[in-house]
Amino acid sequence: MSSDLKIVTEMTKKWSIGPIYDTNWCDMPAEIKLECIGKMALNERLLLRCTAKAERSLVDSQKIKFNKGLIRKSCGDLVFLLSRDDKYTFAKRSKGINEAFELIKYIGKIGVFENLEISFGYLFTDTKKLITDLGLFTVKNIELTYCNIDNMIDVLRKVKNDVESIKMGGDTMTAEKLAEILEISHVQNVPYWHILNYEQTDCLYKVAQMWIDRNSKIGSTFQASVYQLGSFEKFSRHFNDRDRLVSMNEKRVRIRTNKPDHHILLERGFEEDGEIHLYGQYFRLMVISAELKESEYNDNCKEWIYKINPEIYKEYDSASPYSYDEYYEGFGWGSFVY
Amino acid sequence: MSSTEQGTSSAAPAEPTTAPESAAAPEVPESFYYVHGKDKVVHKVSAGALQHSALIHGMISNLGYTEEQAKANPFPFENIDGDILQMVVDWCNQHKGKPTPPEDTNLPKQKEKLFDLVLAVNYLEIKELLTYCCKQVAMMVKGKSPEEIREIWMIPTDAEDEAAEKEAKKRAGKEAAGETAAAAGDAK
Repeated sequence: MSSDLKIVTEMTKKWSIGPIYDTNWCDMPAEIKLECIGKMALNERLLLRCTAKAERSLVDSQKIKFNKGLIRKSCGDLVFLLSRDDKYTFAKRSKGINEAFELIKYIGKIGVFENLEISFGYLFTDTKKLITDLGLFTVKNIELTYCNIDNMIDVLRKVKNDVESIKMGGDTMTAEKLAEILEISHVQNVPYWHILNYEQTDCLYKVAQMWIDRNSKIGSTFQASVYQLGSFEKFSRHFNDRDRLVSMNEKRVRIRTNKPDHHILLERGFEEDGEIHLYGQYFRLMVISAELKESEYNDNCKEWIYKINPEIYKEYDSASPYSYDEYYEGFGWGSFVY
Repeated sequence: MSSTEQGTSSAAPAEPTTAPESAAAPEVPESFYYVHGKDKVVHKVSAGALQHSALIHGMISNLGYTEEQAKANPFPFENIDGDILQMVVDWCNQHKGKPTPPEDTNLPKQKEKLFDLVLAVNYLEIKELLTYCCKQVAMMVKGKSPEEIREIWMIPTDAEDEAAEKEAKKRAGKEAAGETAAAAGDAK
């Protein structure tokens, strides 16, 4: 007990000689400033970083989480809409391409996105600038639509490896561009990705072949909506020629991989009345366990088709979490400095 | 649960109120500790309330003080203003053994008090209260321009910072020169 008392006496002596602090922001230790900055919305952070160099470097060292982000071309400018904790927190329309690029760079640097949707259109023609100047995006689910295909590939290369889903619009995608995309490591490893409105017929067998070559995990999923007829047949022919077919009917094709316990299943999307979707065919490709029985297949394709094209089933629309109208209505438009 | 005394040696703190004994098992009486700030006003706080402070809790968890020893050895926090320590003690008492709510609206609105509270809470390692305080600090600049923020938080401009730095260097140079001259004089 006496030794305890001695320790306490020593410690309390130390406490007593601690500094008496002043009461200004500048006298606060950096760790407390960072804690406070962590509680600020992006607007306040951007304003604080304009006050002095020291504040700028502090603000820039702190990441900020967004559950939704939308960067979209609108009348020659880019519109940025970012939301945090399901509350809309930041809205800005860039003034000119340089400002747009600087803001993408900044938001990419500090942002940690749950969902990020990018639609650059054809705004960026200098693709080298995107490759060299952009940092890595930290994003869980990324959606790239209505983009110059080269911009799309550049951004994909700038996404950190732990991305969980990639959604792409593929109306400008050629076989060569698809090959480039399939070379990107996080595309090879992502648990879910899809291409909407693909105009060629080669994506299904190429993705399956990439999974076979890389021994991809069970659960890896790729979906596509394709305008051209013939993807299903091309897939069947490609793997039949390589003696990989396990089973095949008009709805599904199942193939072997190099791992005896892994199969790949291709499913075709059907209308509720059993008809094939004529205006855009829907496909789902999955790495499955070789143990999965045919009786365990799920015939309800509505859910997975909705995931690739939410607008196809009107009854689902009201529940869509990605409505643009909702996005735009919720924001107040202000002017921001960064 | 707490009482405040003027000075450590004057009035003895009130005895802790004890809960009525249960018929099934007698409750262990709660232990109390004593803290004081810059103003030497002693606050009696239960060990349960002090659990919020990781700093104090870490200290006292295996101490086994008797009431007399605790009373004789109040923990001194000379770097914390008395009214700020009172706020901290009150908060710890109010939230003793309770889950902390998502927001706390009873924090000081005055800048100086809030900053003092933040620093005290950070020092005492009271995580939940620090979170509330930092939220409140962040709210202070909501909707303000950079100039207003600079004014509210007294942030010097880069030019002012540079001038202050130059001045400090100049002063340090003069002091060093003075010391050298004094040393040379001593040598003679």
